[in-house]
Amino acid sequence: MLLMALPAFIGFMTFFITPAVMSFGYSVTNWSVYRPEPSYVGLKNFQTLFSDAQALAAIEHSIRYALIMTVVQNTLAIFLAVLLNKKLMMANVLKTIFFLPAVLSILVVGYLFKFIMTSAPSGMLNSAIGAFGGAPVNWLGDPNLALYSVLATQVWQWTGWAMVIYIANLKSIDASLYEAARIDGAGPMQVFGRVTLPLLYPATSFNVLMSLIGGLKMFDAVYAMTRGGPGYASETIMTTMISTGFKAGRNAYACAFAVVFFVVVFTMSKAVTFVLNKWEAAIT
Amino acid sequence: MKRKSFLALLLCVVLMLGAVPFSAAAEGEVVTLRFMAYNPAQSRATYLEFLADQLPGIEIVFEYVSLDDDFNGILNAQLEAGAGPDIIELGGETKLLAAAGRLLDLSDQEFVAKYAQAGLTPYTWEGKVFGTPLQSWYEGIFYNKAIFAEHGISVPKSLDAFIQVHKDLEAAGVKPQTMGASSWEPMMKQSIGVANNEFYSDPANAGFDALFNTSEVSLAESWLPAVTAWAKVIEEGCLTTDMLGMSYEQAQAEFASGGAAMWESGPWAESDLFAANPDLDLGMFPIPGVSEGPGWLVGGPGSSLVINAKSEKIEAALQVLALTATPEAQIALTADWPGSSFLIGVNLDLGDVYADCAEAFAAGNVYAPWVAVWDFGNPVVEAYGKSLQEVLSGTKTVAEALADADRMNAIMIDEIKN
Amino acid sequence: MSKSVKNGLWSVLFAAIGAFMLIPIYYLVVNTFKTMEEATFRPLGLPLNPTFENYTTALQSMNFLRALTNNLTILVFAVLFLVLFSSMAAYAIVKGKTICSKVMYSIFLIGLIIPFQVTIIPLYRIAVGFGMMNTLPGVIIINVFCINLSLSIFLFRGFINTIPAEMEEAAAIDGCGVFKTFWVIIFPLLSPIIATVGILDALAVWNDFMTPLLFLQSPEKNVLLQEVHKNVGPFSTNWTVFLPMLVLSVLPMVIIFLILQKHIIEGVVAGAVKG
Repeated sequence: MLLMALPAFIGFMTFFITPAVMSFGYSVTNWSVYRPEPSYVGLKNFQTLFSDAQALAAIEHSIRYALIMTVVQNTLAIFLAVLLNKKLMMANVLKTIFFLPAVLSILVVGYLFKFIMTSAPSGMLNSAIGAFGGAPVNWLGDPNLALYSVLATQVWQWTGWAMVIYIANLKSIDASLYEAARIDGAGPMQVFGRVTLPLLYPATSFNVLMSLIGGLKMFDAVYAMTRGGPGYASETIMTTMISTGFKAGRNAYACAFAVVFFVVVFTMSKAVTFVLNKWEAAIT
Repeated sequence: MKRKSFLALLLCVVLMLGAVPFSAAAEGEVVTLRFMAYNPAQSRATYLEFLADQLPGIEIVFEYVSLDDDFNGILNAQLEAGAGPDIIELGGETKLLAAAGRLLDLSDQEFVAKYAQAGLTPYTWEGKVFGTPLQSWYEGIFYNKAIFAEHGISVPKSLDAFIQVHKDLEAAGVKPQTMGASSWEPMMKQSIGVANNEFYSDPANAGFDALFNTSEVSLAESWLPAVTAWAKVIEEGCLTTDMLGMSYEQAQAEFASGGAAMWESGPWAESDLFAANPDLDLGMFPIPGVSEGPGWLVGGPGSSLVINAKSEKIEAALQVLALTATPEAQIALTADWPGSSFLIGVNLDLGDVYADCAEAFAAGNVYAPWVAVWDFGNPVVEAYGKSLQEVLSGTKTVAEALADADRMNAIMIDEIKN
Repeated sequence: MSKSVKNGLWSVLFAAIGAFMLIPIYYLVVNTFKTMEEATFRPLGLPLNPTFENYTTALQSMNFLRALTNNLTILVFAVLFLVLFSSMAAYAIVKGKTICSKVMYSIFLIGLIIPFQVTIIPLYRIAVGFGMMNTLPGVIIINVFCINLSLSIFLFRGFINTIPAEMEEAAAIDGCGVFKTFWVIIFPLLSPIIATVGILDALAVWNDFMTPLLFLQSPEKNVLLQEVHKNVGPFSTNWTVFLPMLVLSVLPMVIIFLILQKHIIEGVVAGAVKG
């Protein structure tokens, strides 16, 4: 019986579990491109990492990015889903339109928005703002803005994906529940708060976890749009890990980064799951 | 029975996986060499054609990965994996990779002696030569001669004059300088150009870079006056924060179309500029210093050819390097990339575009410390350049940016030596 | 306000939002038919003299057919193996009911928690050891085992759990072995979830950029996204030729989406609900 699981299991052990364990192992060595024979150095890499303002900033950016992404994307998606769930004209066409960006590759979306958001004279967004009499905005070059510009493109890309999941969830809600609430004299907002939102729990828990983890993993869009710049303003855990590991050749340090990354993803998803479970307990 | 069928399936899968590899069978006597470079094939076209002509038994597969696209990352990873290219165009990483034993020691090769020592020093580690210079590179300020002439502006000889040019052009309604500062390179280079003027021109500082390699001296102490002097271009508004939202290429396009009067780059951009605008009246002047003078260019031995120590085609790779060390090959190289040659006895004419740089060249005012001497040039200038972006956006001081570079230097020394 | 007027207003609002969402895509597509000059000065206008020259240049510069072949090879094999391996594994896990299968399942689930990027630096070493560097099978293997396997098994398991045991009991009475039961009885029943997993995996594999970037070096093995990536620099002064490359690299998936959108959206939803 278990033989049937073997191809998957052997492959998974060889190409996933083994390197993951190795990552943890290498993180306490001084392995680098320039020192092929590593030796044990204890927690030195972690000390370096936690005393490096830029590394800490990258971790902070990833967390901030993931949290904002999660909140904005899910709020928008629920809003769109609730409205699209009404019998609108063209509901299906709109659904297709909202979902379409999710089919495109993140890299392509990144390049596209780099053209749109550039501060060069050819930048479409600034030309449009100019046409309405506004002052040009330095979308990708302002250190206070760059990370959010990238985030906006990702919200554009993934809200439709979350939306279709919410819509499916909404369709499964029994119409009689709305009737009952309305008979009780609840207004539209109350109906939403008391009936719709609690029953959206399954879709919400899935979407929230997905956008959280996806946000923490962010690489392609930053890579295409800002390369972590200006300065270090939009560096994320992944871009820093790839650039220290592959570009600067500091393998062990990059492995330490991988370990920290794992801890961050693990802790944050546990925390969110905890909150979601509380919510689930509260509504049942 | 069921196990058998299962095993058969597994076998099928393995066979399929095994059959898919698209490794081409070696054909004929032609040796294929992988040549990985961080400058595009267009900038080597004549040279590559020359190699193909002269070495019919060798087929060169030219793989271009730009520095901005993680050239070092991809190269390091491949070498690490033992799957690297045979010949590599290498700059600041040469010493690091030589130290790690990745590169072939060329010291005993006859062709090495044909190059001037200045061209070999950057590629020498512990007394052994690991690379031969491809040609020199230099970077200055490209300017649109037509725009300068139209507004009666002459080439600036000092930093103050340079800033004044910006103000005059601005007043005339012309965008003075464009810069693709979303890349960390241009500001890094421009400021080092001023450091060349203010710091390296003093013979007393000749030994600085060697001491920097052991972290005995720091940029934060030594370069501060020079970089502070350069930072005036930021204070005076010659460089603006919107440039941080623009890439090197977008700036190049803007300059080519006449949208800005000045743009800092080097000869490798020439062909792109003329392709975008054949009528461009192009000139280049050196980066000026505080007091009036010929100015300095940022540059030196540009990049080297090295051979992967683990290459299985070392003989053929050596043939390519030997052929490159001939005057004919050097001329072919400069056909697409105007510059000078380090091959002894070869003197090349630079051409009109660089006439304003003649005095600086004559004085030998071309230097790039991070390539010429620094052991950890690339990571250090990247840290420095990224921090300069923060200086431009107003979140860091020049002193902090220099300290960041020092810190990266210390980290890398620790990384390789301890 | 009457209900229909209200609905009408919502429809108008939504049409506006939809149009707004489409602006970036419209901008992308419309400028591929313009010259540089026109695109700079009239970025959102319809092309005055539509030209296909940009596409001809783009097709050539990105070696479209060669890269597309690489993409399709990776896609087809990766999805095939994913469906085969993960359905078999999920079946074994559901029906195994031993400690061993439970442990195995928890190990597979680790892949949902640990992002694959954590493994990437040592993975590079391993890939070299197996001679997977710079080969399409290397990228296929990584896409199968490192990126998409865990979620696929998870989805298959959820579905197989809902299949009533009587089906197999009947088969067992007929004397079918485990293996035959799976192929003859179970596998055909899995078609809805095969579609879901196949679609999700296909999207993930097609849009994966990091693996080819790090594991495929030779130009002749590059996939579409790498071609796009390589051409950013060379075509930046000529960006109306670059935009068609963006279009061409996503076009195959967009066409498939427009044809199969109902199934794709259902697949995404099924993935979420089963998860």
